[in-house]
Amino acid sequence: MTEMMSRKLTRKQSCTPASVEGGGDAYLARGAWTAFGLGGMAHALGLDTTQRATLDLNGIDGFDTAGAWIVCRAQQAFAAGGGELQVVGSDDQRSLIDLVSENQAKPEDLQPAKTPGFLEEIGRDTFAILNNYLTFLAFIGRLGFSAVRIAFTPASLRWRHVVRGIEEAGFDALPIVGLLSFLMGVVISYQGGVLMRQYGAGIFIADLVGLAMLRELSPLITAIIVAGRTGSAYTAQIATMKVTEEVDALRTLGVAPLEALALPKFFSLVVALPLLTVFADFMGVLGGMFMANSLLDISAQNFIQRLTESVSLASLMIGLGKAPVFALMIAAVGCYQGFEAQHGAEQVGRHTTMSVVHSIFLVIVVDAIFSIIFSKIGI
Amino acid sequence: MNTAGKRDLDGTGEPILELIDIETRFGPKVVHDGISLRVRRGEIFALVGGSGSGKSMLMREAVMLHVPTAGRVRLFGEDVTHLGEIKSLPVRRRVGVMFQYGALFGDMTVLENVGMPLREHTTLDRGLIAELSGIKLSLSGLDPRVGSMYPSEISGGMRKRAAMARAIALDPELLVLDEPGSGLDPVSAAALDDLIRSLRDLLGLTIVMITHDMSSVRRISDRAAFLGDAKLLAEGTWSQLALSDDPRVREFFVERGAQPDHNDSAAEADSPRKDGK
Repeated sequence: MTEMMSRKLTRKQSCTPASVEGGGDAYLARGAWTAFGLGGMAHALGLDTTQRATLDLNGIDGFDTAGAWIVCRAQQAFAAGGGELQVVGSDDQRSLIDLVSENQAKPEDLQPAKTPGFLEEIGRDTFAILNNYLTFLAFIGRLGFSAVRIAFTPASLRWRHVVRGIEEAGFDALPIVGLLSFLMGVVISYQGGVLMRQYGAGIFIADLVGLAMLRELSPLITAIIVAGRTGSAYTAQIATMKVTEEVDALRTLGVAPLEALALPKFFSLVVALPLLTVFADFMGVLGGMFMANSLLDISAQNFIQRLTESVSLASLMIGLGKAPVFALMIAAVGCYQGFEAQHGAEQVGRHTTMSVVHSIFLVIVVDAIFSIIFSKIGI
Repeated sequence: MNTAGKRDLDGTGEPILELIDIETRFGPKVVHDGISLRVRRGEIFALVGGSGSGKSMLMREAVMLHVPTAGRVRLFGEDVTHLGEIKSLPVRRRVGVMFQYGALFGDMTVLENVGMPLREHTTLDRGLIAELSGIKLSLSGLDPRVGSMYPSEISGGMRKRAAMARAIALDPELLVLDEPGSGLDPVSAAALDDLIRSLRDLLGLTIVMITHDMSSVRRISDRAAFLGDAKLLAEGTWSQLALSDDPRVREFFVERGAQPDHNDSAAEADSPRKDGK
């Protein structure tokens, strides 16, 4: 019986739309009464629900639960309107209608979760943002606590991960950081050089390139590249592990996720970012020197001589000193966003985006704060 | 016992899924070495085998997610082995797949998950789709109120049922279930088995299920096939399989304590406590 039934109920692939023909009190159903053919069917099939009528299903091309539900719904509409709709069809069709009728849900159970109003939305968002700051602070606190613990038992840090992290965050980023800072040096040298040549002060290009690159641009551009390259990778990795319960697995195995996942990343980034910044300094100055040579005919020898006279060691150290701070912030935001992810692939993507946006934002804000502090204390 | 007696199993039913001389290799590793089987309309067909015996890969090949190294796959009488992505769409719509871990979309509610195939492929209006999704949830044994929750908020068993509801959303002719009972307690697994059988009876589905749960095979499948050592070790009804003298097939019957003459409740046969004490 099942085989007969299934063959009859089978839907044709290229289907004629379902329709109702006839008039008076006897209607004929035509076409495919399937999910694919029922596109524009009205609630009561567009019939007068106050009368007693019959619907003949014998002439249809296909029938499935969608068709059965439409018929069932029409019957209910007739019942509500005071009439009655009788279905003429095979036993299989009627049993499918009965099945659907038994399994229909109450309309109130199918309401989509109600969307909060405007005020509620504002309140929720405000609370979420404030809460976010708090949890971030809590995260930093816990991280500091495990860092102190590790400081007493350095052997328990995963040094292999630290070293590999330095390679991935530092060494592997050399080409992109080098190329971008070289170009940055070229641009500054060109823009400044055109202006200074008018005053015959071409040699001061070395001051400009040196100070701008060493103090500000190298640390900044390196931190931004690393935030986009490595911070996002940290978030994606930890978030995926969180979503697939690998973080919980670590916890049950007696391994603190912060120590296993976050701390090695901090150590490797704190080492890698200053090293990358030194490289960026070098490449930036090289780019400036190259441009000074071709645009202003300043020889490399003169350029370097002028550079050593005008740019103090303090400038270099100020630039390099910012790098570990940036590294801490990028790693903190990256790991925090990773651990914040819950259930679902979509969350991994969202937190990775937030990680990059927040860490770049923080890097620029903190760089500005540094500039204010340095100008106040007169370095 | 099972429903094998009721079913027309004399080999005349219309074949829904045919695998012909399937070979699958990954480098030197041979996963399938010439496997052929045929599933007929209205059957519940179980694919049994130990872990790593290539059951899931065979399923992936059957539903066009992986192209076998050699051999042919036929669905509904049509050769789909090398069907292009676009051409395969109408065939794919006629096949419902429930994945082992549900594979519900995490950014949609359960109800939206179930209605998703309807939204993609039909022109039904939103209200109707929600009502149909509710019916499918109820058919799968879930309270429609679960529909407003997200997959991460419900239990593993509920997730399986929701995945089942999504797989039958378009009233497929062939329903493929990957380990429907795994991760469920014996009672829920038995309830899911009953559900599978009633879906077949009520909606006229053809069902292929992958499992290593012998009690479930005995309870609901009409026929079963044993995979092992990259080959088809045995194929047939439960009583035919029980007569198999292949030691690898016998092992399954013995280890699971599910001898065919042993008429305990199947759920009990699965309980590890019994032999533990």
